Amino acid sequence: MKKLLLLLLISLGFSTLLPLIPVSASAGVRYTDEDYRRLSAVIEHVENVLYYGHAYNQDTDLLPDAINTLTGMPAVWTFPNRAEVPYSDLANQQNFFRTLVALSLVTGDPRYREEAEASLAEYMETYQNTNGLMYWGGHRMINLDTLLVQSTESENGPHELKNMLPYYELMLDVDPVATVRFMQQLWTAHFDWATADLNRHGSYSAPYNNNVFGQPMIPDIIVMDEFGMPIIPANSPGDLPFVNAATDLAYAAFTLADYTGDPAPREWAQYLMRQYHLASNPDTGMTVYQYKSTLITKSASECAIPSYTNSGCGDRVARQFRDFGPIARESNVQWKNTQAIYVDNILMLLEAADRYGVNEYVDWARGYLEGYLDYGYIRINGTNKIIPMFNDGTVTYGYVVPEVGYYGPSNMRLDYVEMPTTYLLPILRTILATEEPENQVKLWTYFREIAHTFGLGDVGPLGGNAPALDLDTAIDDPFALMAMVELYQATGNSEYLESARTIGNNIVHAKFRRGFFVESEIMLYSRLDQPETLALLILDGVLRGLAPADMPYYLADSGYIHGYLLSDDGVTEDRNYSQTIIYTKTIYD
Amino acid sequence: MTEEETTMKKLATILILTLALVAVPTLAILGATGALDLVGQTEETWDEKAVYQLLVDAENLSGMSRYNNQIIAVDGDLALPKEYRGVTITYSSRHPEIISNDGVVTLPDTCWIDSRNQQGQDTTQFDHLNDNWPVVLDVTLTFMGQVRTAKLMLVVAPAEGFTCDKYLG
Repeated sequence: MKKLLLLLLISLGFSTLLPLIPVSASAGVRYTDEDYRRLSAVIEHVENVLYYGHAYNQDTDLLPDAINTLTGMPAVWTFPNRAEVPYSDLANQQNFFRTLVALSLVTGDPRYREEAEASLAEYMETYQNTNGLMYWGGHRMINLDTLLVQSTESENGPHELKNMLPYYELMLDVDPVATVRFMQQLWTAHFDWATADLNRHGSYSAPYNNNVFGQPMIPDIIVMDEFGMPIIPANSPGDLPFVNAATDLAYAAFTLADYTGDPAPREWAQYLMRQYHLASNPDTGMTVYQYKSTLITKSASECAIPSYTNSGCGDRVARQFRDFGPIARESNVQWKNTQAIYVDNILMLLEAADRYGVNEYVDWARGYLEGYLDYGYIRINGTNKIIPMFNDGTVTYGYVVPEVGYYGPSNMRLDYVEMPTTYLLPILRTILATEEPENQVKLWTYFREIAHTFGLGDVGPLGGNAPALDLDTAIDDPFALMAMVELYQATGNSEYLESARTIGNNIVHAKFRRGFFVESEIMLYSRLDQPETLALLILDGVLRGLAPADMPYYLADSGYIHGYLLSDDGVTEDRNYSQTIIYTKTIYD
Repeated sequence: MTEEETTMKKLATILILTLALVAVPTLAILGATGALDLVGQTEETWDEKAVYQLLVDAENLSGMSRYNNQIIAVDGDLALPKEYRGVTITYSSRHPEIISNDGVVTLPDTCWIDSRNQQGQDTTQFDHLNDNWPVVLDVTLTFMGQVRTAKLMLVVAPAEGFTCDKYLG
């Protein structure tokens, strides 16, 4: 009798709970306990970040870039003078803001979005230079003890964004005046309107110019030789136009044009990205990291020293890889900065195409990826790799570097380039953005092979409507998860959703430790910019039937601090990256 | 029937009705959308998948990759597999004068790269640093009209008595 009553109560409870669980009626997807466990892990992570992040200094709404998962304390940057500075750098927290907004959407609790808004509001009100640049990026941080700006690169570190692609939608909601001012000044500080020189470093002393995009448009600086090949000018006065800095400039200008209705920023963004396109190799399709080499301004005697890698000695690849002849230029290298060229940049191009209607970028992205994969993609011992080469297809695999230089030490042997799962997204999104099926075939074939090699199973023939996925996959990766979700949205095939759920469960199982998401079980710091929580919430939103356009979107995961610090030996000065120094520390260190 | 038995019967009825209320719409939703139908592929698509798996097996099991990253220092036929369980395997060499499309090696009579210092000066210090040629073979595996591509990276040493005097820098 009692058992029967208990069963009745449980079943009644279940039946009354059902309507409370958001279910996508159109997708017919049932929200399960496992789905809730993933969401619960994200909520616990976010609550812990907010609790411990705010607990350190209650006079600010800013949060640290990373939290020590053993102590709850902020990550610290140890300067060469031994000063240990807990820091906040909003450029490195963009995925956390997207996570907060997504969490409010899936839970209906506005508190999370409000946390993001409060942090951004304080930052933009307090830490925007009068010239419009924010104190953030690679070389500036906010000291969470003093709430003062600090530089990690001498006293006046420059402004630097490289593929950080800020969450402008939210920034514009919070403080449109400050956001517009920043997007304008980003160009003033980094771009030379007369020569198209671009520097990843921008000065906080550059005066604000509200007519910044009113400059006269200049001719393309990339022209072709008599064979139809691009001539890469070697006249840049040390201002190397790295594509990872250009991606941020273009993204800001596209967003600005869309927000203000002024077409000029968009035209300049298109001009800028066109230089990279023109500099690409027309035979192979492979594109470039930069469209200029530097002018030689240093003396011959200085530049005769191989270890002196100052860009004033001219193109650093031309020096160190001189054996290869004229193709050896920094712009043509396809074994370094490949994530910036073929992942981050392409995701931005596709976003510009989708959101702002720059439709030719889809064809560009397809051409770059097809060329890169045609020439370079190789499977070695069951793993995805890239053959190192120049962008004309000249293979550099196995090359032993004679002398030290910017690209590494003497006797360094060039090996295969890693192909991480991040490549899944630009390839898939390019396919999905391509209209004609016959133009999708080649990339789909590569996508199928790459996904299979990553252990996702078979996505099947073109269209992805008949997959045979490994629903018990061991992969615990946010990019694979997002790829499966996007395939589900494109095809409606529930197998992708099941795969995404499996990957999501794996992520929680492998990376949710001590109340935080970490890179792996033993890693000490939980990084706010990590993409795992956003990926899990994107899946959760789909399960709840939320429109993809309403959810925050993954664009980049590139935030970092770069500068001078004290080495782990406690004695020597080092110049390094947060990714190398802070995010490699384990709980056993 | 005792009073307790009557009560139990009523409770059981309510339980069944409740479960039916929950289960029927849920199963209807799942059934209608195919959310549980993960293995219900058609014969045609299953065949396609079987072909794909065979092509994967051909790449992994045919032995076509056995020379990957190996230094090849003798002339002759590598005997690369041309067929595996009905899968046709063809090769296209990016240096056919060194490894032909049939997998026959002719050791080159020059080094791959003549290496010098960054001033372009020919010192003996860097002799033989980059003698061996990396040769990429593009592979096509075909079965029942379905195609899978792969690449091989073979490293070939130059022939005895080779020269190394075509500096490009």
